[in-house]
Amino acid sequence: MGSRALLMLTNFNFKTTVSSFGSASNPFFLIKNNLRTRNFSTKTRSSLQPPDLPGLAETARISLAPNEVEEFAPKIGQVIDWFGQLQAVDLDNVEPAIRADTEGDNLREDAPQTFENK
Amino acid sequence: MLSTIQPPRYLSRFPLRGRTKSRSFHILSSAQPVTKTCFAADQSQILSIRDSLLNRHLSAVELTHSYLDRLKQTEPHINCFLHVSDPDKVLKQAQDIDDKIKRNEEVGPLAGVLVAIKDNICTADMPSTGGSYILEGYRPPFDATAVKRLKDLGAIVVGKTNLDEFGMGSTTEASAFKVTANPWDLSRVPGGSSGGSAASVSARQCVVSLGSDTGGSVRQPASFCGVVGLKPTYGRVSRFGLMAYASSLDVIGCFGSSVADTGILLHAISGHDSLDATSSKREVPDFTSQFTYASSLKSRPLEGLRVGLIRETVDAGVDSGVKSAIEGAAAHLEQLGCVLKEVSLLSFSLGLPAYYILASSESSSNLSRYDGVRYGNQASSDELNALYEESRAKGFGSEVKMRILMGTYALSAGYYDAYYKRAQQVRTIIRKSFKAALDENDILISPAAPSAAYKIGEKKNDPLAMYAGDIMTVNVNLAGLPALVLPCGFVEGGAVGLPVGLQIIGAAFDEEKLVKVGHIFEQTLEGYNFVPPLVTDVGGASPEL
Repeated sequence: MGSRALLMLTNFNFKTTVSSFGSASNPFFLIKNNLRTRNFSTKTRSSLQPPDLPGLAETARISLAPNEVEEFAPKIGQVIDWFGQLQAVDLDNVEPAIRADTEGDNLREDAPQTFENK
Repeated sequence: MLSTIQPPRYLSRFPLRGRTKSRSFHILSSAQPVTKTCFAADQSQILSIRDSLLNRHLSAVELTHSYLDRLKQTEPHINCFLHVSDPDKVLKQAQDIDDKIKRNEEVGPLAGVLVAIKDNICTADMPSTGGSYILEGYRPPFDATAVKRLKDLGAIVVGKTNLDEFGMGSTTEASAFKVTANPWDLSRVPGGSSGGSAASVSARQCVVSLGSDTGGSVRQPASFCGVVGLKPTYGRVSRFGLMAYASSLDVIGCFGSSVADTGILLHAISGHDSLDATSSKREVPDFTSQFTYASSLKSRPLEGLRVGLIRETVDAGVDSGVKSAIEGAAAHLEQLGCVLKEVSLLSFSLGLPAYYILASSESSSNLSRYDGVRYGNQASSDELNALYEESRAKGFGSEVKMRILMGTYALSAGYYDAYYKRAQQVRTIIRKSFKAALDENDILISPAAPSAAYKIGEKKNDPLAMYAGDIMTVNVNLAGLPALVLPCGFVEGGAVGLPVGLQIIGAAFDEEKLVKVGHIFEQTLEGYNFVPPLVTDVGGASPEL
C-alpha cells in the first residue's frame, strides 16, 4: 500500500504508535507528531488547536469554523479513544470481511458486448 | 378480530383479476371493514383494505380521506413528514383505483394502501432531502427500485418522512429540518434514524412505511414507537435509490402495525435488481404463505422451535423494565412450544466500535458525492476547493461532519490497518459467532434497545451515550442477518407507558421463519393495546358506510 511507503520515507515507528493508541495518556501527542512528519503542505498550524482536525477537514473538503473545531475536537477525541479498544483484540489469522454476504456471483459473463458508438 | 385467510397467490407480483378471487374468499372471510377503526395490531390492515375495496364495502377515496384527515390532525403534534403529497394527487390515485374496481379491472395487491417513504429513499415526483440542507429541494430524476415496485403494485405514496441526516443518528434529532415526536409521549424521541417512518405508522397516518437500517435504524424506532419493524438480509432488497450511508451495512426495511403487513410489504419490495450489484439472486419465498390465523392455531404452534436468548443483551446496562418485558416475551414463546435457552456471543460488545468505525469510514467516502456541484445546494466561491468546502460546511449538520471526520481519520494512511481493517476482521468474527449460534438455534432473541424512548435532548451532547444505545442492533447489520422487532410489552413512562420491542434474529435469507414466528407471537399475545393514545384522542374521521 502506498501509505506504507510513505511511512518508510518518514522513518516513522508504526509499532510504537499503535501500542500507544490504547493508552489514556494523551495519544494525540503522538498522532500530532505523525501527521507533522507526513505533512507536505506549507500551511502553518496553530499549536493551540488540536492538530488533526484541520488536517482531516481539509482532506474531507469541509471548512470548519474555529468554534466547530473546539466543539468537535473533544467529542471526536473521545470516540476515537473508544475505537482504540479494538487494538487489544487478538485478530491474527482473521480474514477481513468486506461485507456480510458470501455470494460472489454478481458478475456478468465475461463476454464482449457491443454498444452504440455515440 | 380474525383476519382473512388469504391464498398466497393473491400477493404475486402480477395484478390479479380482482373479482373472481374475491368471490371465493368472501365466503371464507370474516374480516372487519377498516372503517370500524379496528387498529388492533394483530390484524393485517393491507388484507382488510383489499377485502373491503374488492367487496365494495369501502372506496379507496373514503379510505384515503380517513388517513389524510388523521394525518392532518396528528401531524402538528408529531411532525413525521418532511413532505406530504398533494392531497389532490393522492385522491386522484385513489379515484383511479376505484374506477378500475368499478370496471372490474385488475388492481395490484397493494392497491389503495397508503405508504410513507423515508426521505433518504429517492422518489421521482417528490423532494428527497435525506434530512439534510445540502439536498434541500432536490428532486431525484428516478424512483428507487423499492418505491417503483410498490407503485407498480398500486400503493399510494403519501409523503416522505423525517430522519436523522443521511441516516446518521438514533433519535431523529439530527434532522436539518425538524424533530419528530414519539406518538406515545410527545416529549420523547421516536428513535432513529427512521423515526418519522416509525412514528407515522404508529400514529396510523399511513398503513405501512419504508425505512432504512444500517445499525438498527428500523428496529430501534419500531421498538420505541410500538410498531413492527423488519430488517431483511443484506442483499434481499435492492438498495438502488437509497442514499448510501454505509454501503456494506445499509438495507431498506419495512414498518407496519402488524407482522403480516410488514411481511407483505417486504415481499413486495424484495428480489434481485440488476441495478444493485449487491442484490441477491436468490428466490424470494412468499413470506405471507406462513400466516396462520389465531382461530386455526393448535395449542403449541411453535413446538420444538429452538430459541436462543442472547445473554449479553440482558446483562447489566439494560433497563429493568425492558428486561422484564423480554422475559415475559420469552415466557410467551415457551408457552407456544419453543425450547428456550441462553446463548452467549462472546464477541458481542466488540460490534459497537467495529460498526462505528466501518460506518463512519464508509460514510466519509459515500458522502463525498455531496459537493455542491452534481446536485444540491451550492455555496458561491471563486475557487473549486473553497466551493466544495463551503457547500459542504453549510449543507451538512454537525453529526454528519463529525462522522465524516472520524471516517477520514480511520481511513487515512497509517490508520487504515489499525482501525478499518481491524473492524473488518471483527466483522468476520461476529459473522462466525452468529452463524454458530444460528446453527444450534432456529432464532435468537434480544431486546431491540437497552431502554424505552429517551426524552428529546437527553442524548444530544454525548455521542458515546447515543452510540451505546445501538448495542442490541449493530451486530445484526455486521453479520448481514435479517431481524424482526415487534412490540411485546411496556415500561413506565408517558401517559399509558412506553412500548418495548422484542428483536428476533434469523439466519441469512430466513425472513420467512421470522415472519411466521412473529405472526404467531402477536396473534397470541393478549392484554396489550399497541395503539398510542394520540390516535384515539384525535378520534380520526372514520367514514360512515
